[in-house]
Amino acid sequence: MTEPRDRPECGLLPSGWRRTSPLAVVFYLGKIYEGLAKNAVQSLAPLAALVVAFQGNKLAALVGGVIVFVVATAVHAFLRYWFFRYAITDDSILIRDGVFRKRQLDIKFERVQGINTSQNIVFRLFGLVTVNLDTAGSSGQEGHLPAVESPFAAELRERIRRSPKAEIEAAGDEHRPETGARTLARLHGGDIVRIGLSSGRVFLVLALLGPLSQSLEEQSDRWVEESEVLQAVGAAHFSFVTAVGLALVVVLAVLAILLAASVVGALLRYHRYTLVADGDVLRWAAGLLTRHEQSVQTVKVQSLYVFQNFILQRFRRFRLRTRQATSGRSSKGSRFEVPICTGDLLAELGSEIFKDELEGLALDPRDSAFQRISRYYLRSRLLIAGVLPGIVAAAAFWPEMGAYGLIWLLWIPVAAVLVWMRYRRYGIAITQDGASFRRGFVGSRLTVWLHRKVQRVSVSQSPFQRRRGLATMKFYLAAGSVTVPFVDYGAAARLRDYVLYRVESSERAWH
Amino acid sequence: MFENPEIAVAELSAADDVEWQALDRRYVARQQVRGLLNVAVLAVAALVLHFLRQQLDSDLPIWAGWVVVAAVAAHALLWPLVSVPKKGYVLRDRDLVYRSGVFWRSVTAVPFNRVQHVETASTPLDRRFGLASLQLYTAGTSGGDLAIHGLPGDAAERMRVFVLRKAGDAVEHD
Repeated sequence: MTEPRDRPECGLLPSGWRRTSPLAVVFYLGKIYEGLAKNAVQSLAPLAALVVAFQGNKLAALVGGVIVFVVATAVHAFLRYWFFRYAITDDSILIRDGVFRKRQLDIKFERVQGINTSQNIVFRLFGLVTVNLDTAGSSGQEGHLPAVESPFAAELRERIRRSPKAEIEAAGDEHRPETGARTLARLHGGDIVRIGLSSGRVFLVLALLGPLSQSLEEQSDRWVEESEVLQAVGAAHFSFVTAVGLALVVVLAVLAILLAASVVGALLRYHRYTLVADGDVLRWAAGLLTRHEQSVQTVKVQSLYVFQNFILQRFRRFRLRTRQATSGRSSKGSRFEVPICTGDLLAELGSEIFKDELEGLALDPRDSAFQRISRYYLRSRLLIAGVLPGIVAAAAFWPEMGAYGLIWLLWIPVAAVLVWMRYRRYGIAITQDGASFRRGFVGSRLTVWLHRKVQRVSVSQSPFQRRRGLATMKFYLAAGSVTVPFVDYGAAARLRDYVLYRVESSERAWH
Repeated sequence: MFENPEIAVAELSAADDVEWQALDRRYVARQQVRGLLNVAVLAVAALVLHFLRQQLDSDLPIWAGWVVVAAVAAHALLWPLVSVPKKGYVLRDRDLVYRSGVFWRSVTAVPFNRVQHVETASTPLDRRFGLASLQLYTAGTSGGDLAIHGLPGDAAERMRVFVLRKAGDAVEHD
């Protein structure tokens, strides 16, 4: 493989400064309105004050105000488009933008962790896309290329994949035949519904609704009392049973609405979801109105995150996310996500990402390879989170509540159950090349990584752990860290020495 | 050619079975001075309270303030004597191992082929004692990159150069 670095067949040779399509104005308008909507309270308050304070013809003022607003934002969007330039060089992409505060970004191809594109309805009509480039580290440095032609985006993606560094890797991988793009999965109606139903947010909202429902109930009581129709029917019929039934219906209706909204949300985002493996790149595209496309180079994956809450467990499905080396503050968009997948697809994705190093790595939370952590975890956590607060609370409320203060001691058995549930989820499975760590409460969350991608490792002991010969291990990866509590000290030290050996003898790049 | 020799785990070099290098002795004094500077601030606050009490003729328990000052001073003088000897580092061929902690003890290892950049730093107080700190940065922002304080200034510089060379030597490809 001694091809020249500048590939003549690639139309992305070094070029001068370019502009994007004028339709980028649409993108900037969207951004401006999005920004305004995010600060809705701050931006609307002075406006409302103006409207109230204004004495003359309010309608005329309102119309005038709207016109001024539209024109101002349009001009702003246009200026942002006007001052936006980009250029492609041998090994990087340069972006110049800013109306008043100019900036120039230099994004090296080899530092790009992933390319994501999105395409709203207007762009789709004209065959344009917005490209987002994720870079490692330095947050706020990710670049957007609004409204470029989609063949250009595809070419750019290819160009970045073939950056000089990637070529060496391709040379070392000669035995891997280029099979072209392979579709791994498509999501259909059933999957979309499952994604919507398993969204944890629905139940979060419901939990928040709990306290709210009480005031709602009071409100409805008053309404029922005041309603003459119901009084005519006769309050006697309105028994306790009916009240409970009504409340149940209301709760179920709210739940149904929330779930429906969640399913619609899933449909908007994951309509016609296709997951493709193309050489060493994983890519998905989906979306009903705005079409998103995300891709990730499998060599850049630092860890794999497998999630299964109790609903997904029912469906025998998993949610999966890859983590690349990005700054901690990076946005949600930088993660490559498979919203729902079966056990088979999970295994296939595992082998796409970890290749031959996958062997034996536990990807399923129920894998029998998981080893429990020490039972002393129970004792330690129960003491700290259960017994101590229980006794302190009981003692603190003793003067006020007397013997009733002892009710706080009931916290201890509750805490015991919670600690037990957590303890049961903890598990670590280690293979020759990698490790998998499970934690959770009701559901399970797995983090899977390769030893050679570890950046740092530490073993620490509290006084209690030292007495029992236990330790807490911490693995620092380029994407987050993993803390494994309460493992045998000797085993922890051996694992640390082994991981260090694997890292230090590895000649493969971690990124 | 790819080689994959078998590894006897028991024969791997153990990162806690090493000859720990102690920190510079002057670091104890430096930490004591640092602590006493804090005490000085507290003492000034206590003095102000003392005079305020005379002015206002209130019966604030001023002695409690002085007890706090005394306790902090005792901690500032004694704690470095205990904690500094517990810290230590080892420069091995392929990594840097650092230990610390009196009650909560930890041992952290940073392989050189994962080091992104190295930094030495010294505060004015450090320089007065001829000390410097060495900080190793690895990828990812998972907090607390390894920092070793209390190294002799020249040793910190030598270590920086050594680590940098080792990090640069790391042969890597995908």
